[in-house]
Amino acid sequence: MPEIKLKNVAKRFGKFVAVDNLNLDIESNAFITLLGPSGCGKTTTLRMIAGLETPTEGQISIDGKVVFDADKGINLPPNKRDVGFLFQNYALWPHMTVYQNIAFGLENLKWDKARIRARADELLKMLRIEQFEKRYPAELSGGQQQRVAIARTLAPGPKVLFMDEPLSNLDAKLRMEMRTELKRLHKDTDSTFVYVTHDQLEAMTLSTRVCIMENGVLQQYAPPLEMYNEPANLFVADFMGNPTMNFIDATAKVSGNKAEVSFGSVHGTFTGNAPIALKSEKCVLGIRPEFVKITDGEGVRATVYSTLPSGMETTVKLDVNGTPVTAVVFGGVDYAVDSQVSFTFGGKVILFDRENGGKNVAEGTMILG
Amino acid sequence: MQQAKEKKGFNAARFMGRVRAWFSKPANVILLIFFISLIFLTLYPLLSLLTETVTIHTGREARAAQETAGSLSLYHFRRLFATSENDYSWIQFYQPFLNTLIVSLASSVIAILFGGIVAFLVTRTNLKYKKFISAVFTFPYIMPSWTLALFWETFFKNVNIGLKTSNGIMASVFHIFMPEWFVYGAFPIALVLGLHYAPFAYILIGGILRNMDANLEEAATILKTSRMRIIWRITLPIVKPAMLSTFLLVFASSMSAYSVPVFLGSPVRYYVLSTKMKSLMDSYPGQAYIIVGVMILFGVAILLLNQKVTNSRKQFTTVTGKSGQISKINLGKANRPIAIILVVILLLVAVVPLITFALESVIIKAGDYSLSNMTLDFWIGTGLDKRLDQGDSTGILLNPKVWNALGYSLGLAVTCALVAGTCGILVGYGVAKRRGSKLASWVNSLSFFPYLMPSLAFGAIYLAMSSSIPWLRGFLLLALVGSVKYLPFASRSGVNAMLQLSGEIEEAAVITGVPWWKRMLRVIFPIQKSSFLSGYLLPMVSCMRELSLFVLLVPTSNTILTTMLMQYSEKGWAQFGNAINLLIIIVVLLVNFIVNKLTGASIDKGVGG
Repeated sequence: MPEIKLKNVAKRFGKFVAVDNLNLDIESNAFITLLGPSGCGKTTTLRMIAGLETPTEGQISIDGKVVFDADKGINLPPNKRDVGFLFQNYALWPHMTVYQNIAFGLENLKWDKARIRARADELLKMLRIEQFEKRYPAELSGGQQQRVAIARTLAPGPKVLFMDEPLSNLDAKLRMEMRTELKRLHKDTDSTFVYVTHDQLEAMTLSTRVCIMENGVLQQYAPPLEMYNEPANLFVADFMGNPTMNFIDATAKVSGNKAEVSFGSVHGTFTGNAPIALKSEKCVLGIRPEFVKITDGEGVRATVYSTLPSGMETTVKLDVNGTPVTAVVFGGVDYAVDSQVSFTFGGKVILFDRENGGKNVAEGTMILG
Repeated sequence: MQQAKEKKGFNAARFMGRVRAWFSKPANVILLIFFISLIFLTLYPLLSLLTETVTIHTGREARAAQETAGSLSLYHFRRLFATSENDYSWIQFYQPFLNTLIVSLASSVIAILFGGIVAFLVTRTNLKYKKFISAVFTFPYIMPSWTLALFWETFFKNVNIGLKTSNGIMASVFHIFMPEWFVYGAFPIALVLGLHYAPFAYILIGGILRNMDANLEEAATILKTSRMRIIWRITLPIVKPAMLSTFLLVFASSMSAYSVPVFLGSPVRYYVLSTKMKSLMDSYPGQAYIIVGVMILFGVAILLLNQKVTNSRKQFTTVTGKSGQISKINLGKANRPIAIILVVILLLVAVVPLITFALESVIIKAGDYSLSNMTLDFWIGTGLDKRLDQGDSTGILLNPKVWNALGYSLGLAVTCALVAGTCGILVGYGVAKRRGSKLASWVNSLSFFPYLMPSLAFGAIYLAMSSSIPWLRGFLLLALVGSVKYLPFASRSGVNAMLQLSGEIEEAAVITGVPWWKRMLRVIFPIQKSSFLSGYLLPMVSCMRELSLFVLLVPTSNTILTTMLMQYSEKGWAQFGNAINLLIIIVVLLVNFIVNKLTGASIDKGVGG
């Protein structure tokens, strides 16, 4: 049940900055997701905590013990950090059977034979792969290999478990299933999970806290729903949620916590929950598709550009005089393409500053027209 | 960032931490060790080579230069490059240089055409007898390169040309007297080298064709492109980088080849750089070393070009993983004729030479192939010296000298293979782990450098070096030279094997604290076993058949089989020579076959990439 602390951690490869001045507190028993596009430094961060990569700067401690400190020259090897690591492509040893894969690490920890046997059996049972014990990895399906990899990682009973996109090689259905099991596993093993993914849905559904990164810089560190509802900036808002939030370039005349906003021929009044601090008049309106309400006549007129019914919900792409707006309607409603509809903003609207790094400057509601 | 900047300045703990972290990674330690030792083993010889080119040596050289021995001078350069008197420079340097270019160019073209076409036929058509063709095609590469040359000479020679000693099979049995250009000189040298290196092209190009995604061609078929056009516009451009790479490697190998031009060029005074260098070495070593330098320069230029070719954007990733069944071209009626022609050529190149050597080793009087002129005495006879007035007293199989030499050769080959192969794996590990770092690319280049050194010159330099190191003698010296010279083969296959292995495989063991040596033995080696073993096999086979590298270094010419063969040839004991030659080839093929059957390692796996 350890917590992990990162202080001013940086990693540079020559001139390239992979991770820049990262501060992160991961509390005990958390399920943390490092989220971001490829090349954002999330995997590097994970590998630095695990000890597979040496940071250029900073300090890392696990369970109160400093495992790395650039200034004091402390750098514990991975096996002294009491961690487990689940690799993206499983990294099962192809020349060993399932049992040997699980037992190899334990033999190395000088466990006696009976204890290894007992622990391996326990894990084989827990992950429901008893019948594959004598098989080689190549003789297993992707999902089965994944389970073996998990069993191998859990075998020594690590206090912290690191996972590097462990589900990205599985098909959609299996991924769903494994997500459920990982969450269950987190509960059962009573350890701290740090999970890397580029899939925002995975981050949303699995974790207790999400750490979203871009170009090596931490953008926001918050529980997933908070991140979804109160994104710190345009990047975070864009990354979380599918279909993505609507971003509409607009101009705003601010007075206190109110602003007169216009885009194209559309005008509206925005009411924020606090005074608005915009650098200039240029802003971006952000509104989640589920808050764009299609109405019978109230609000602004728009043309249906296309419609994508998926059964449970329907994604409707609208064209408002050249500005695209996406709406999500619950249920299998079908709109005729090129027909005319009206819409209003029936939920939270966020005002982003177009100049100040896309910072979230105000959240509130907006009345169109 | 602000904080980090304030802390600038020297921090001992921080520095020591970094040093410790660096040295805690085995890959770094390995690279450092190899970097230092390779500098000694490759760059130091190169440096001593350079000093030789400006040193006046004792004997004829000092007299000709009219300077005292041991003094430094640019005399050799002036003499070799700019002496018009008696066409000296032309005869000693420019002509052989031109010959080298012509021969290497021609042999590269032959190798690519022959190897490439067979590779295409085997991978892309429904050719008959594919298995046989594929298996026999690597023979010429496994056999010593002089095999074909010797075969060519013994088969076509006649009393009108060359040394005018005796008739070969062609003249004595068929009464056809081939013209000199056909038997000696540029044409046969280029042809023989081309055939010897064709397997190289076959393996490199065939590998790409085999892994090429069928979709690439199918996409063109869907667009109604004709078969010929697909080959011309899709297939060829994709294998072009491999072809270029092959071209350069064959060019470099042909350039430093020694035994083929010796057999097929020297009898008619047709010289290339390597043979010229050898003939100059005795009387004018300074000039000989300059020629070595020129050859090395050429080799380095080719290596750089090759790196440029293989690193450029035009290197295509052809393995996409989803390759389906490749639709093979139906050769139709042409199938059988093409297959039969290929089989006949391969038999001529790979099997007939062996038969010829066997034949030549049993006839008593040269040129007479009647049964009454045959005897097994040269293999198992006794008291021969009294009866024949030449040669050893017993046939080679009863001769303890031959068995000693065979044992020595095998021991040397095994030692070189073990050392080079193991070092190759370690280099591969270090280079792959620290890919992209300067140290890794230096070690990678250094470990390839011995490939560019002509064997003969490499031997000569080590001979010079060993004179100042008293304990570096005999077996130890030969083993060291062989191991360094064959390291490129082993390190190539080591690097390739390690690059194929994802780093996570090892890290999964690091996490549980498996020590480095155990990771190597229990995880990495077993997974890439066959590739690594190929890295042992190639040096072993090469060492077994090596002549020019060891010829200057052996204590006596009876020490190893190949120098013994050379000695017998020089003495004119043709039957003994042919018998020993056959013995070498059989041993090499046998070793290759046994290792292949036992472990699945094969030459082509090592060469690939």
